[in-house]
Amino acid sequence: MKAMPISLGGTPLEAQDMERGKIFSNLYVPQLRYAWDTGEAIGRYLQELKQGQLIARRCHKCARTMIPPRMFCERCFRPTDEWVYVKDTGKIITFSLSYVSWDVRRLKQPQIPAVIEIDGASPGMGILHVVKNVPPKQVKVGMPVRAVWKPAAQRTGSITDIAYWEPSTKTKKRK
Amino acid sequence: MTRPPEIKRGSVWRGEIPLQSYYTTGPSGQIFFQALKRHGKLIGTRCTPCAQVYVPARSFCERCFAKLTEEVEVKRTGRLASYTICYVDRDRAPLPRPLALALVRLEGATTLMLHYLIGVHDPVKIRIGCQVEIIIKPRNKRVGSILDIEGFRII
Repeated sequence: MKAMPISLGGTPLEAQDMERGKIFSNLYVPQLRYAWDTGEAIGRYLQELKQGQLIARRCHKCARTMIPPRMFCERCFRPTDEWVYVKDTGKIITFSLSYVSWDVRRLKQPQIPAVIEIDGASPGMGILHVVKNVPPKQVKVGMPVRAVWKPAAQRTGSITDIAYWEPSTKTKKRK
Repeated sequence: MTRPPEIKRGSVWRGEIPLQSYYTTGPSGQIFFQALKRHGKLIGTRCTPCAQVYVPARSFCERCFAKLTEEVEVKRTGRLASYTICYVDRDRAPLPRPLALALVRLEGATTLMLHYLIGVHDPVKIRIGCQVEIIIKPRNKRVGSILDIEGFRII
């Protein structure tokens, strides 16, 4: 059976109808500012990022090293015990080739968001970031990567103080 | 006396959510603002069964949900139904000059319209029920906005 086309009420509009004043409208730009309390663990994590270092938190009971750090072990239901520095290398444990940007623009070259399992942290402990300098088809789960940091002067105490991650072993470039 | 434990000052992540929107006036708003812009007229819509005249014009009767098609022009004069004097803006910052807002029932309308009450020198003298007129900007200043109306003034 052929589906009937659905007719919805309303007036079809395009942006230029508003811009040219064909349709009366108000442009509303709310200033949505927020301040998010980082807490103790993420506060320290961000401070260390500014120094170009990755820091994790260890639980002595389950012997896990957790990154991003947290002050409470969700497995043992007890406070975590100590700060430990971990490496700025790791491996890709999952990734995506994204052909749309965050604001839904089409991209010819995909962005490669990936979860990087950090060397020195427990298995499966990783951070979501972006991988570059690799042909999209060569990205693999298990691929070793290293952090490419922004210059110290440009770092602000943000996860983007790491500009991106790139393969730490040379990949063959296709012609 | 023991000192309270030192509270570690937390760090704060600040950001802004980029957002913008066009609020369109809709089909009946289009009729109201077009008449206001072009002719300086105030157009409402009538619901005969409910004996209502909605100003600004509305597409539907909010009492019986009927579609409203009968357009009515209302007068530029009316009566003050309520008012308030504002001393702070919406961010609670003190206003340089207090601002008066009025709810007015225009002659021919059954609904109340909200706008500025202008030319107020002494708030004590404002009386509910007093006659007001609507002040509309000259044609070359009108753009099809509610601010094409400057406000209500007590006659």
